[in-house]
Amino acid sequence: MSGKKRIVLAKLGLDCHDNGLKIVAKWLMDSGYEVIYGGVYNSAESAVKMTIEEEADALGISFLGGEHLHYTEKLIRLLKEENADGVKVFIGGVIPPPDVNALMNLGVHAVFTPGTRRETIIQTLNRIIQDRKRPFNED
Amino acid sequence: MKDSFEINFSHLKGEKLQTFKSLSGFEYKRIYDHTMWNKVLPDAGEYPFVRGIHKDMYRGRLWTRRQQSGFGSPEESNKLIKYLFKIGQTGINIDSDIGTKLGLDPDYPLAQADVGLQGTSMCTYEDMKALFKDIPLDSISSTLIFPPPSSLVIMSQYLMMAKERDIPWESLIGTIMNCCLTQLVGPTFQANTAFFPIDLNIKIGLDLMEYLIPRLPKWNILNVNSRNIREIGVDAVQEASFVLALGVDYVKGLIDRGLNIDSFAHRIAFFSAVHIDLFEEVAKFRAMRRIWARLMKERFGAKNKKSMWLRMAVQTSSLPLTAQEPMNNIVRAGIQTLAAILAGVQSVHTTSYDEAYCLPTEESQKLAIRTQQIIAYETGVVKSVDPLGGSYLVEKMTDEMEERIWEMMKVIDKLGGFIQCFKDQWVEKQLNEVRYKMAKEIETGEQPIVGVNIFRDDEERVDIDLFRQAPDMQAKRIQYVIDYRKNRDQKAVKLSLKKINDAVKKNPEKNIFEAIYEAVAAKVTLQEICDAMREASNFTIPS
Repeated sequence: MSGKKRIVLAKLGLDCHDNGLKIVAKWLMDSGYEVIYGGVYNSAESAVKMTIEEEADALGISFLGGEHLHYTEKLIRLLKEENADGVKVFIGGVIPPPDVNALMNLGVHAVFTPGTRRETIIQTLNRIIQDRKRPFNED
Repeated sequence: MKDSFEINFSHLKGEKLQTFKSLSGFEYKRIYDHTMWNKVLPDAGEYPFVRGIHKDMYRGRLWTRRQQSGFGSPEESNKLIKYLFKIGQTGINIDSDIGTKLGLDPDYPLAQADVGLQGTSMCTYEDMKALFKDIPLDSISSTLIFPPPSSLVIMSQYLMMAKERDIPWESLIGTIMNCCLTQLVGPTFQANTAFFPIDLNIKIGLDLMEYLIPRLPKWNILNVNSRNIREIGVDAVQEASFVLALGVDYVKGLIDRGLNIDSFAHRIAFFSAVHIDLFEEVAKFRAMRRIWARLMKERFGAKNKKSMWLRMAVQTSSLPLTAQEPMNNIVRAGIQTLAAILAGVQSVHTTSYDEAYCLPTEESQKLAIRTQQIIAYETGVVKSVDPLGGSYLVEKMTDEMEERIWEMMKVIDKLGGFIQCFKDQWVEKQLNEVRYKMAKEIETGEQPIVGVNIFRDDEERVDIDLFRQAPDMQAKRIQYVIDYRKNRDQKAVKLSLKKINDAVKKNPEKNIFEAIYEAVAAKVTLQEICDAMREASNFTIPS
């Protein structure tokens, strides 16, 4: 495996507005990350499975239609159950302002709403993912 | 906050744009004159309809104010429709949630969290009756935003409702969108192929058209959605050429079934975006009208004038709308709506300023309708037909636009048509390229967006009212369909599902619509019907 940090990007449920996700995928690759692109129509379970199988450092999910709280709560719970809660979760997309805090309180590491600049996303992820030496408990 | 005060502007330097290119890359010239365009235009209502499809245009009747609506349960959406009519909406435009569009019931595991979010949740005949309670079907026109496979189930429900109300089918007014390649976030491959076999989907869409043509003379059998193509970030030339090429494919599909062009072409319409580059948008619609008219007349031999009309519904594009300083979107949508009117379109949805946050609130819906009413009743722009016609700039740009659209259509034609290009993922490649290009243009400021990449105020805190769904809406809808399936004649259900399965397996050439209609009558739900077709094709869906 290359020394690159690995990030899984996906959309969950039926919303398939993936413009933002595809653009962010390119930005992350251009900044030296390895992106595992999960595409649309994933379940929370399949996204977590992919994250673990790919030994990813972070999991980024994009939402548009208002399903963000439901799925994020589930994601965080599943990661914990799989002892993978070291994976950094970040959320992007159409998130109403009051829900940004709600997501952070669920344990999300960053939320990027529409119009966030590329450098903000990259710097934030660099900082979040930086200390992470190993993705999973390897005992 | 900085306490130092600094002025960045110098009067000596002034303020000017970095480029004079249009959004789609046309170079705006310093000034346009008779050396660039010097022709005589046909009257409005005359072939090839560059000045509009009707002689009197908005003098004869204003465009239809058709705000897309729908959320939660059909009962809630019915209330919303009534509210919109109270404040001056003049046509219905009902959007469904994604599960409904994909042919999934609310209790399907992957569909549950999306129930009712981006449109109304519909899966039974009773849902249809709840949605249209108290709404006349023969004096109000309704656009139903459903692609195949759900469009066949939904039309069955709608026709059954008309029958129950004793309204003759031939007097029904409205549109079924009915395009399975563009409805879900444009013609992206994965989104439109994961839940139904693509060839079967195209086939049953044509089945529905074929069924409706002789029976519902006032009903639009297809509305090809170019708005969703544009919203990915393609330019006006790609938008227009993609959608016109797709329209041609559908026309060919119906002609291949032995139908005469003049028996159906007048029942096909289009749905487009209106971006914010005002003259370019006006040129786009004028060029599209000319191209479609020529295609219908010269390529397909249409004789009836109405067959040559490009009838256009629009929704102002969300691409220029921003999450930053959302009130700015009111101004943008106003200008986009004006562009649509100056271009002579038939119906308009003005996108609400809260687009980057949530579904519109009642307040923002009202503002959108008021925007259209102000343009209609106060500005005077509707009082003459095609007020920009004859402008050197607009005519020259219309000619240039037309030329570039034809060029791209030829490329698509050579590759086997739009549907083939979609299946070969040629379209997907085009879309991916433009996404990155668009992101780059916004990043570099090549496409300036006030409040985002110029004049950005990083200290701004957004404080707007947000639309909220009822907290128990999804749970109720899920329980509803579970209970619904328990209380019906299960024998009849089984029988009609077998008929659908047989229709797909044993009679693939035959029109499937009647089998679906019978199933709806037997209280079979949307997903059960679609699953029967999937199973017959050995097609599995994401879970």
